[in-house]
Amino acid sequence: MDCAASPSSATAAVLRTLALVGHPNVGKSVLFHRLTGTYVTVSNYPGTTVEVSRATPRFDREASLLDTPGVLALPSRSDDERATMRALLHEDMRTLIQVGDAKNLRRTLNLTALLAELGVPMVMALNMTDEAKARGVTVDSSALAAALGVPVVATVATGGEGVAALTDALARAAVPAPLLRYDPVLERDIARVEQLILAQCPHPRLAARGLAILAIGRDPEVEAWLAAQANSETVRAALAELTAPIGRDSLPARLARERGGAAEALARTVTQQAAGKDRTLSMLLGRIAVHRLWGWPMLLGVLYLVYLFVGDFGASTLVGLLEEDFFGEVLNPAVTEFVTSHISTPWLADLIVGEYGLWTMGMTYALALILPIVTTFFLAFGVLEDSGYFSRLSVIANRMFAAIGLNGRAVLPMVLGLGCVTMATLTTRILHTPRERLITIYLMALAIPCSAQLGVVLGLGCVTMATLTTRILHTPRERLITIYLMALAIPCSAQLGVVLGLLGGISFGATLIWVLAIVGVLLFTGWLASKVVPGRRVPLVTELPPMRMPVLGNVLKKTGGRLKWYLIEVIPLFLIGTLIMFGLDRSGALPWIIEAGEPLVVGWLGLPPEASAAFVMGFLRRDFGASGLFALQSELSMIQAVVGMVTITLFVPCIASLMMIIKEQGMKVAALMLAMIIPTAFLIGGLLNHGLRLIF
Amino acid sequence: MNAAPSKPLPHERIRLIGTPVGRMVRIDDFDDEIDPLQREQLHAYGLSAAHAVKVLQQQPMTVLLCEHVELAIEHAVSRHIWVQPA
Repeated sequence: MDCAASPSSATAAVLRTLALVGHPNVGKSVLFHRLTGTYVTVSNYPGTTVEVSRATPRFDREASLLDTPGVLALPSRSDDERATMRALLHEDMRTLIQVGDAKNLRRTLNLTALLAELGVPMVMALNMTDEAKARGVTVDSSALAAALGVPVVATVATGGEGVAALTDALARAAVPAPLLRYDPVLERDIARVEQLILAQCPHPRLAARGLAILAIGRDPEVEAWLAAQANSETVRAALAELTAPIGRDSLPARLARERGGAAEALARTVTQQAAGKDRTLSMLLGRIAVHRLWGWPMLLGVLYLVYLFVGDFGASTLVGLLEEDFFGEVLNPAVTEFVTSHISTPWLADLIVGEYGLWTMGMTYALALILPIVTTFFLAFGVLEDSGYFSRLSVIANRMFAAIGLNGRAVLPMVLGLGCVTMATLTTRILHTPRERLITIYLMALAIPCSAQLGVVLGLGCVTMATLTTRILHTPRERLITIYLMALAIPCSAQLGVVLGLLGGISFGATLIWVLAIVGVLLFTGWLASKVVPGRRVPLVTELPPMRMPVLGNVLKKTGGRLKWYLIEVIPLFLIGTLIMFGLDRSGALPWIIEAGEPLVVGWLGLPPEASAAFVMGFLRRDFGASGLFALQSELSMIQAVVGMVTITLFVPCIASLMMIIKEQGMKVAALMLAMIIPTAFLIGGLLNHGLRLIF
Repeated sequence: MNAAPSKPLPHERIRLIGTPVGRMVRIDDFDDEIDPLQREQLHAYGLSAAHAVKVLQQQPMTVLLCEHVELAIEHAVSRHIWVQPA
């Protein structure tokens, strides 16, 4: 996520607006960055942009440029397409910049055929001409410009080629010539609705003919706009009559078919196909990634590399350097000395640098423990995003997702959920049906650990592999603090090191059983949800973007943006958590909480009493809970470690994720999810506890 | 989508799911089992009558090359798409 570009808002609507529109994954967001200097997240998979972003373009400080979510086609169907349609309807749209894929002109022109009917001046940026050239595709831009009546500029947005020419061309933007006349019967129907719109409720910017075509195509946003207009009853009555039949010969289907024919005819006249490379490393990797046999070893290899980078290098080496060497040996002693020598009130000094101190606990855990883990995770994640691998995961994961009533497309939000469930919840907008979105959000909230939590699990794996041989063995008091704080509790020194064999023995089994338990719960609850939520599964049809070499600058920018956002969210919560801990400790409430949670935590889950506090603080952030349990590992048996980690992984989503779920699904659904998730977490944890005790 | 203007005889066309890997084929028709929304989606991806595509693989899903863009299509859909030799 990047917050630099402001979301679309009514306050900015007074500015004249330009918008980048086009298919998914054609480079709109890269161009947006080039034209405004404002970075929005750019990735190599369709659906990166799910909300309209806005910024002031460099070439006109009085204007506003929109980056819209990709549209596969108009009329809009998915939520991200609807967001684009809303922008077209409700912004003061002066110019459209259609961003097209030069290597697939036919599809680009299919969208142009509809945009041309909206009557808004337009410029076409024919992007990715480098990839088209590599495949032997040449587009005659001049001939295309002449046919469309708008400037057409060849661009390679990632390298900045053609961006200056595109900026110059904006002054020559023109209303495109229509690409086609539909057959007479369709034209008669379009004209009828067009006349009614013109007479009853004309749009201030968009042509009535374009709106008529969209309305006949049953665009839900145009229907909503019409419903909001006074005097639109006759238009809607006419539409109800025209669009009643559904099927292959319905009006929307016939309109789309004719647009496709016109696009193909024009594309054929302006495109030349020479012999291109039919075997490149990118193509080879792309094929292996979705191969029925080789796809799996490749997936395991990718996961192992991520594990080495995040779990080994991030969670062990970097955390060791930061937490133990820098914070433990240098920074914290200095801060403690400074505070105690300058603050004479004991409780105040204790609040800052005591056992529950804002600095010694809150900031130390946020910066020395969480930060290295999420940094390495976001870097690895950014590389995978930009490589195009995630889209290919949807192919090999499709069969598994079919078992839970979804299709492989849902793998994207779920994988993104490993970065942050909050943002991934937004990404579910790329899914086509409300049913798919509901099930995916529920499963993410239930069973997808976020990056920090995953880091804790990977950190456990590191111990398994004996890369980190010793950890601090906390005193009971320290353990209590850590559980309550729910920060990642990697000990700050090795005074009471953990025996390698013991940890290795625990974590090897723990990691394996954790994975199996979470996947099992994901599949089982997903299967149940698919039976309960009405609707049918939509089979997967998806585009596979080319595998590309990630651009280091983009990966670093994305990582920086995500870290900034993450820390803005994490640090206040860590400090609040610390404050709560401090208050609970001072008031003597901690023992009471532990006692109250004993039947469930000790009796049912088989965990030590101190674990109660981990679950209480898990309401603030789930990864804090995992960290708190992780801190107890030296006191936990293998079964307790597994049960604790599984339960906390399935526990409530963090506050930010919950807010996002409320935003996306409403309070009622969010409350229902929460009411199901908490008992599920404890039920699974308890069953696992009793099951494992029977086996081991 | 409708059938191509010169519709081949039934024995000349085969289902996309049964098309050998590496073969160039032309889209012929969709069965009624493909719902209108999915039909729109296929059309938007460029799968329309008489258009040539190359079959890249059939497992675990059907993967096509359609004008330099790779498309993955689940068997539940590709078994309802009819193609004919290019």
